[in-house]
Amino acid sequence: MNSERKIRVLVAKPGLDGHDRGARVVAYGLRDAGFEVIYTGLRQTPEQIATAAVQEDVDVIGLSVLSGAHLALTRKVIEQLRQQGAADIPILVGGLIPESDKPALKEMGVAGVFTAGTPISSIAAFIRSHVASM
Amino acid sequence: MKSQDDLERIACAEEQWKHDVLEPRVKRFQLEKSPTRFYTPTAARDFDFLEKVGFPGQYPFTAGNNPFDFWRAYAEAGAKMGVRPEYGGSGAAGRYSGYGTAEDYRDYLLRMQSLGSRGGPNVAFDLVTQCGYDSDSPFAAGEVGRVGVAVDSFRDFQVIYEAFTGDRDIDRVPSNFTINAPAAVIIAMYAALAEKRGIAPAQLRGTPQNDILKEFIARGTYIYPPRPSMRLFRDTLVFCRKHLPKLNVTSIGGYHIREAGATRVQDLAFSFANGVAYLQAGVDAGLDIDDFAPMFTFNAFGGSMEIYHEIAFQRAARRMWARILRERFGAKDARSMMIRQPITAHIGCTSTTLQRPLNNLARAVVGGIASGMCGGLPAVYPPFDEPLGLGHSLESIQLQMDATRILIFEAKVADVVDPWAGSYFMESLTDETEAAAQAELDKIEAMGGAVAAIENGYMPRAVAKSAYERQRRIENQEDFMVGVNCFMGDNELEVSAQRMVDELYDAAHMATAEERQLAKLAQLRRERNGKAVADGLAALEAHAKDEAVNLMPDLIECVKSGATLQEICDVLRGVFGEAEPVKL
Repeated sequence: MNSERKIRVLVAKPGLDGHDRGARVVAYGLRDAGFEVIYTGLRQTPEQIATAAVQEDVDVIGLSVLSGAHLALTRKVIEQLRQQGAADIPILVGGLIPESDKPALKEMGVAGVFTAGTPISSIAAFIRSHVASM
Repeated sequence: MKSQDDLERIACAEEQWKHDVLEPRVKRFQLEKSPTRFYTPTAARDFDFLEKVGFPGQYPFTAGNNPFDFWRAYAEAGAKMGVRPEYGGSGAAGRYSGYGTAEDYRDYLLRMQSLGSRGGPNVAFDLVTQCGYDSDSPFAAGEVGRVGVAVDSFRDFQVIYEAFTGDRDIDRVPSNFTINAPAAVIIAMYAALAEKRGIAPAQLRGTPQNDILKEFIARGTYIYPPRPSMRLFRDTLVFCRKHLPKLNVTSIGGYHIREAGATRVQDLAFSFANGVAYLQAGVDAGLDIDDFAPMFTFNAFGGSMEIYHEIAFQRAARRMWARILRERFGAKDARSMMIRQPITAHIGCTSTTLQRPLNNLARAVVGGIASGMCGGLPAVYPPFDEPLGLGHSLESIQLQMDATRILIFEAKVADVVDPWAGSYFMESLTDETEAAAQAELDKIEAMGGAVAAIENGYMPRAVAKSAYERQRRIENQEDFMVGVNCFMGDNELEVSAQRMVDELYDAAHMATAEERQLAKLAQLRRERNGKAVADGLAALEAHAKDEAVNLMPDLIECVKSGATLQEICDVLRGVFGEAEPVKL
């Protein structure tokens, strides 16, 4: 990829969950770490998120869910991306994700799952290595 | 108050001590400054005990709302009888709960009653309900019955209350509803239920959260823009005072604001700015301050692990709110001036860690000590498994309860009221907290108050910036969290929690809740009288356009007709518009 261009990240809150502390902190942190960050704001449908990802030409999508609806919502975002021909955009999921749900997310094709206590620096490093390897 | 001479002598001695003892020690350990502080009377020079503290149960309530609370009066008697108080509950309502369909939740409540639960329902609604949608909305998929119970209609509401009849009927037990944007609709359902059961609405007790302004700052379950939201608040306030006089009108929260990242000072200033806006709404509607302010409650402020600061915070909060009520709103009734809240200091759920989760019990005990030392029940909160997922296990709740009991009965934390009163350190910290919060509140008032400071994005952005600052401090090891950013070496054991008791919510029911709820909703739409629904909604729409009209009577007619929550909210969306999410 072009090293001149900043890595573009879409931070999104799918569904009705209003707990956006994590999403905002990650958005601020990645921005400070040199990424181009687009934050969707609350209550985005999977379709809106996929459309924003395509329109903004992002390199990676971060979904934040704390409502327990992470499996259903992530699956829908992936479906929407596939429909819009953008299935290659890697997805990261953060929030309140029980350990037991991590394998299911990985199976859907989620690149990484980050829960409470994760330093932003490690998310940034993960994205850099992941995008560079594409 | 010490005399001026005394203070000067102490100040001189303090300087001498610094020179003779402190500074050599700082030098010996090669530090830039001392890592500790020592307080003398010079830290609280103008301290006037009667003005700043007074007595518990008297203005300015710094030392507490009461010389002792209800629970303390009968604590020992209760222990001998083995009474299981619901410390996690709010007032006489039971523990915050809700999941699946109304039937699932009803059955859960019956099970809890068989395990000794005595209170009314303390209802958690699912996000679909909280955001004013029906379960068959495209926004609902995957969320039905997840973080609370799904309530699409008055029919669902009535099913929940099948668990509350006889000596648990709604004139006997209070209800709590954690609902904000659609609070008026839920209150309408409660009133309609009373009517249906032949109970006078005046007998209804309970607390709707009904604190819409903080939803724009944290938590995010808003529907309409702030101004029409405040009109709905006014309608609930005026209607409740007239027809449901025993219902607490609102439960104001600083808790959610702090959990979203606010500093202690922002928590206090922003929640009070919201509270002032609600009080002003009552005054503007022509109500007497002492008629309605006693029916305002606070659900909680935020908390942290910083025990001294949290004790000072609670003392400052009580004093500040009392002054606002007396000096600004001219309240005369002491009950108007008190912060009524189910718990006082606590650590805040964001202090708990996913890493080494049993450590959270140690953390929560610190919060219990803080609350016992600042005029509250020494409530150990939250249960240690808080960060592991939604809902707590029965055993974590048992541990939490026992920890609280140990603080009360063994440590005797609650035998002295405001044990820090008169401490040079605590009084100066209380003053500092109050002054900083007052300055922030003044800033918001200068912007035009809470509504203006939401519309211009000030409060939500300030909270997000503080959250990021906290994260930055943790990543830079300026703040420490054990097991998260320090003490994670190879020799540390990952002591994990075994959950030996079943989770409270039935996972199989949770998994099928959406499907069952959709079937029930379809059935409702088939069976109800379509014309009555349409007529009710038309009347609601017409009246919504007239700011002067109180919408509660229309809302009651709508819920009785079988109109769904979303149908009602959609009518209001059409008239009021929808709130825009705040950008970064």
